[in-house]
Amino acid sequence: MAEAEYTTTAKLPIETIWEFVKDVDHWADFVSGYQSHEKENDNDSIWTLKGDVGVLARVLTFRVHVTEWAGPERVSFELVGLNEPMRGDGEFVMKPYRERAGERATDSSRSTPQKSRLLRFLEAMIRVFLGRGGRARRADTADAEPGPGMTQLTFRLRIDPGGPMAPMVNALMKPVMLPAAEYLANKIVSHLEAAQGAKG
Amino acid sequence: MAGKPTSWDLETDVVAVGSGLGAISAAIVARDLGRDVVVLEKAPKLGGVCGYGGGEVFVPNNHKMRELGIEDSDEAGRKYFEFLSAGFADPELMDTLLSNCKDAIEYMEQKAGVRWLAVEGLPDYYFPKVEGAHSGGRYLSVELFDGSTLGAMQDKTWPMTPHIPPGVLHREMYAWGGLARVTEWDYELIGKRISEDQRSFGPGMMAYFIKAAMIDREIPAYLETPVRELVTEDGSVIGVRAEREGRDFFVRARRGVVLAIGGYDHNKELALQYEAMLDWNSACPPYLDGDNIVMGGEIGAAIAAVPPTNLAMFYGYNIPGEEAEGKPLFRASWECGVPHAIRVNRKGERFCDEATYKDYQARLRSWDGQTQQMPNIPPTLIFDQNYRDRYPLGSYMPGQELPKELVETADTPRALAEKLGIDADGLERTLARFNPPAKNGEDPDFGRGSFAWSVRLVGDMSYKNPCVGPLDKPPYYGVRLVPVSVGINSHGLKTDVNGQVVHQRGHAIPGFYAVGNSAALRDLGGGYQSGSSNMRAITWGYIAGRQLAGKG
Repeated sequence: MAEAEYTTTAKLPIETIWEFVKDVDHWADFVSGYQSHEKENDNDSIWTLKGDVGVLARVLTFRVHVTEWAGPERVSFELVGLNEPMRGDGEFVMKPYRERAGERATDSSRSTPQKSRLLRFLEAMIRVFLGRGGRARRADTADAEPGPGMTQLTFRLRIDPGGPMAPMVNALMKPVMLPAAEYLANKIVSHLEAAQGAKG
Repeated sequence: MAGKPTSWDLETDVVAVGSGLGAISAAIVARDLGRDVVVLEKAPKLGGVCGYGGGEVFVPNNHKMRELGIEDSDEAGRKYFEFLSAGFADPELMDTLLSNCKDAIEYMEQKAGVRWLAVEGLPDYYFPKVEGAHSGGRYLSVELFDGSTLGAMQDKTWPMTPHIPPGVLHREMYAWGGLARVTEWDYELIGKRISEDQRSFGPGMMAYFIKAAMIDREIPAYLETPVRELVTEDGSVIGVRAEREGRDFFVRARRGVVLAIGGYDHNKELALQYEAMLDWNSACPPYLDGDNIVMGGEIGAAIAAVPPTNLAMFYGYNIPGEEAEGKPLFRASWECGVPHAIRVNRKGERFCDEATYKDYQARLRSWDGQTQQMPNIPPTLIFDQNYRDRYPLGSYMPGQELPKELVETADTPRALAEKLGIDADGLERTLARFNPPAKNGEDPDFGRGSFAWSVRLVGDMSYKNPCVGPLDKPPYYGVRLVPVSVGINSHGLKTDVNGQVVHQRGHAIPGFYAVGNSAALRDLGGGYQSGSSNMRAITWGYIAGRQLAGKG
């Protein structure tokens, strides 16, 4: 099982993020290695991505099924590989900042901007293994403490490779999962903040 | 060629161009003999083709064999190389190569910390068919390398190659059943080694050399710094013009320049010109642009050749969507030598021992003067469901749906042939002829399975003949194959016994050396044995390094 979780903070109300993520078409531009997708209905879509594990890039096709539209706080989905033996799941979780004496409406164990041990480990793996120091990082608010009018966006992804080579694929995927999660979450927030700024 | 610049950006004794075995061996030796060395590499990572390949080094009568009690002799090794050369080698060059290869290998172990391993049980190509061939032990590989010891170079090297599962030793590969039984390998162990950055094969071997050069000896390496021209003065090479960060970067080489940048695998124009093969592709990283020919040619270096018919070259395929280093990844096809698979020409006929690339590579080049065609090109891989039940196709395991863009499928050989555009009657006749003896593990037409090397490499040892099985279980599958080079070209710079490049007028060019696959394979002649390319890269790098240091 390869997994990654990344949380960032947006200078946006939760509704703005929800309006965006509730349509899977909007995810496309911000998914690492995106090639194409085809929406079968609001819940089901076929995605083609180019997966890159450092020395080898390969086109992967997934069926994504949204299992829960719990707006404005959560979108959960499952995925199944169509040309590779793998399954997985993921979710977007949005948590607003409540303007009451600094109280946050978030589960502190998950919303802290401090990196978890898992994340630190995966980042270290990326640095030592593939030399991937670069991230789609937002300089302004990515690690900022939440404040009034802000929302924390968390993206989680788990992939469980199958077949005889699963342990090897798992080891190859681990270092690239976190950068992919970071890229997606940060790109969405950057895009929405820029749009908000343009309006404002 | 570039004239002397008004000022140099960098001055050193020796400029090593490239960062594979040849360049790094020369750099290590020159540095050990007291010279300042700089390495310039075009790619964003160090290691060259050697850091991307199988990492075998073929050395007859090597010291690791002796440690294991495996008998061999220099004389037998020479006989074998003379056989391989088919009379096309330069005797002086071959003698120099074979007289120095053991010293070079042992030097790299003693001085550079390369931990060699003799590969037991992997025979020479032609064992036991010719005198001098050996049953196993001449191949050297390396112990696992801990990538974390590379420090700043860890990110600057390839931890693995896309061509071979990473973190595996030869003895493990064979114990797990070899390439044919890749589904049964210990992927828990492989996954653990990936996580620990334990390197093997070519990436492991190059890691030892790069650690010795860049970490232990602190030889500076400039990545993404392609050398564009040699700088000459009065007929001598005195430096290079490279490009770095978008501008010229002139490096003076007080003692000389050693060029070790491979050949022209990714230059289709040169490949067509020199190899006379259409639709040329390469399994190597995409930095082999023929700069050896271009830069050497510019200053009058002689271009030399060996016969192209017997070098290491394969046929293979690109799985749609598979890329490495941003370019389509071409894989050499080993599948044709596995039971339940054959290779046929456009007439649907077999034409070779599919398990032995030395046989099929030469026969593919045959020419029909009456029809003005190369009748065996393009070849097609044919296999059946027996094969699919047991063996992979590239990275596609049994049970996994094969990419339709690559693989044609049909319920009968005739229907498959029609889809592939090959002669359907011919394919039916071929299977009618091949299958009955194949059921008994026999191939009376081409003797498939009679070369011990082929059996060890691609055979399924659970079969009576590990390379033969009938194609009699539908559906049937077909894959069109294309040429896939592995960086060993028939043309290169002409060099002398010092590794120095020879001018078209016959004299050695002062200050200019070429080693590895940048130099023509005149030391090998008309044949090839896997591991020879790495052996000659280390050996000529060792020789050139001594020459450049003035200690030849």
